[in-house]
Amino acid sequence: MIMKEQVKEKTILEKLEDVPREVLYGLLLLAFIIPMLNPIGFPVPTSDAVKKWYSTIDALPKGSVIMVDFGYSGGGEPELGPMAVAVYHHIFRKGGLKVIAMSTSIDGPLLWDKAMAEVKPEQYGAKYGVDYLHIGYIAGGETAMAAVGKDLRATTSTDYKGSSLDQYTVMKGIKDAASFNLLIVYTTGGDQSEGWVRQWYTPYRIPYLCAVLAMMVPTMLPYQKAGQIVSLVSGAQSGEMEFLVKVPARGIKSADVITVTHLLVIAFVVLGNIAYFGKKAKGGG
Amino acid sequence: MSLIIRRQIPIVIVFVTAVLVMTDYFLKIPGTGPVVRDLQNWGVILTAFTLGYGAVNLFYLHTRHISRRTPGQWPFSIWLLLMIVVFTVVGVTYGATSKQYSWMYNSSYFALSATVYSSLGFYMTSGVYRTLRPKSVESTLLVITGVIALMRNAPALAVSAPILISMDSWISSIPTTSAQRGIMIGAALGAIALGIRTMIGKETGFLGRLTEAEKGA
Amino acid sequence: MAADLATVMQIWFAALFTVWIYSIAFRDNVFFKFAEHTFVGAAAGHSLVYGIDNVKRYGWTPFTQGASLYAVVFLLGVLLYTRYHKSYFWISRYPLSIMVGLGIGLSMRATVKAEFIDQIISTAGLKVLGVDAWTGFSNLLFIAIVLAVVYYFVFTFPGIHGGRLGVISKFARYGMMAAFGYSFANTVLSRFNMIFGRLDFLMTEWLPLPGAMIAMPIVLILMVYAMIPAENRPWPKPT
Repeated sequence: MIMKEQVKEKTILEKLEDVPREVLYGLLLLAFIIPMLNPIGFPVPTSDAVKKWYSTIDALPKGSVIMVDFGYSGGGEPELGPMAVAVYHHIFRKGGLKVIAMSTSIDGPLLWDKAMAEVKPEQYGAKYGVDYLHIGYIAGGETAMAAVGKDLRATTSTDYKGSSLDQYTVMKGIKDAASFNLLIVYTTGGDQSEGWVRQWYTPYRIPYLCAVLAMMVPTMLPYQKAGQIVSLVSGAQSGEMEFLVKVPARGIKSADVITVTHLLVIAFVVLGNIAYFGKKAKGGG
Repeated sequence: MSLIIRRQIPIVIVFVTAVLVMTDYFLKIPGTGPVVRDLQNWGVILTAFTLGYGAVNLFYLHTRHISRRTPGQWPFSIWLLLMIVVFTVVGVTYGATSKQYSWMYNSSYFALSATVYSSLGFYMTSGVYRTLRPKSVESTLLVITGVIALMRNAPALAVSAPILISMDSWISSIPTTSAQRGIMIGAALGAIALGIRTMIGKETGFLGRLTEAEKGA
Repeated sequence: MAADLATVMQIWFAALFTVWIYSIAFRDNVFFKFAEHTFVGAAAGHSLVYGIDNVKRYGWTPFTQGASLYAVVFLLGVLLYTRYHKSYFWISRYPLSIMVGLGIGLSMRATVKAEFIDQIISTAGLKVLGVDAWTGFSNLLFIAIVLAVVYYFVFTFPGIHGGRLGVISKFARYGMMAAFGYSFANTVLSRFNMIFGRLDFLMTEWLPLPGAMIAMPIVLILMVYAMIPAENRPWPKPT
């Protein structure tokens, strides 16, 4: 005799609580793809922090020298890349500024190449070696920051391609941290973003603009509040910077998608709790 | 004698180096500047040498898989080691910023790295649905601040309901910054204590593997 | 023409790897394993390449230009790899101790000012009186949370978080939970931005390529097939 198992019918609330993850992921993918295929054009608010970034660079007198740390990895490029590109547009369009880049991340030099290919500095009349330069990836994290801050020429004598720095006019007079008027850091590493506070701001008081992943912003907020960072932004705010610089690109494009996906996540929070508390109220597990 | 060479002298080196670096910063004694500058440059080169550790460890691990023909693993181990070799050969031959190396980087490592980082977003979504529950005061606070911040982070919502921007700004500048500052001060005290203990030889984690005699000491 | 072909191939490889990595969100499969091992191998190779590049640029170049003391650095660098030796692993402690000493000196000398004194000055400088009520309350709350959280982490001996003093720890936990909720929302934002970046690449750079629209469903079908447990699919059979 075959015994048939009695299968208890799941209630709606139980079904709602046990929605398979494939359904959730599928809905999330749709929330990404639909606004990408049909852009809505949601407005993008501009925060004070991004405005401060913009105005700090704008206020630099001609001849100022900026140190830029391309310290983000490939994983952070989708978020920080658009911010770096927008800021470079701003710097080159303003003109009269010298930008020396270095990298505390091993992906930095290649990601810098990627960013420059997007920016196309020649459209602003900017020339490599005259207006901007990259001195390469320097291993060591804080050791590298301290070494460059103490004596850049003793740390490295070549650019990121191995050519001597002496041939580049942009390096004239650049010796150590005191030669710089502003520090801009894009990084996915907490050690790097905090390390620059310790190794450049604290000893040399170089004004510091910091761009990190959105998830790293909370840990960096105390530095901003204490005045050690002039302005702290996340790469997720790149749309705002693109809006200010008037070069719409990936950042602004993501605004629609971020709105829809965040609404979906909020809906998930609500639904998940309705299922859980509803089941509990009915005497479920 | 053996313990002195294997353990005590490295600890003395840590102490002397750290004191030298701090002395140069605080006291600016003439003569320490160039020494510290050179030490820092040495540190850069030594860190560069450590970048090979990953490859060496992987060679150890995966050559074992290959020699033992670990089922379902050994063909992937061969591929992994091949990737290390190909990347290294192309990078060293053509240069780390050459077109050829850049092509390899962009077609594999960059795409993989960006995707791996982002894939966690899917798991977070599942986690949000199943586990974000206001069951206690602490979790309720977490859910409330989280949902307000989520709404503010949606650009269209923030523009249509500006109160979200003020609420999010207050959450970020008051409870978030203050709690993070408290954590930072605690961590800084811990880091200072750890640094001093390492300098005087009370913390020997950096020595790595210890022999029985060293453990006894 | 060659450059175009190289770019097209680059996009194809990047797209396939992207799709294969995302497949793990649904089920483990052989394509994901392949992509995963490619990632690990590429990461290790990439580190090695830049390690060699750094040694060349910051060590070898000055050495060939007269900094003969760098020979010692090269020796120390090589000695770092004695850590893998059964008997001579202790030799690697020498170069390591220089690095550790440098790290401690560099971080400690500035930590005291940057993460202790400056933070305390900033907290103490907040105005509680002489400002509007909301600002005064907010600043008072700020100071209270900082003090409570420092208390929570610094004092860890038994009994300190119990009894009447337990209210301080509870208050600290409330403050931290509010902070973690904000952090959670920012983490969602971060990850979703990254997902957008990859999907944008797939839609704007891969799918417009000739054949990509046909290849995509084939890739997805093969992936779904690979997700079927080995014993339930006709080929390949489990070994």
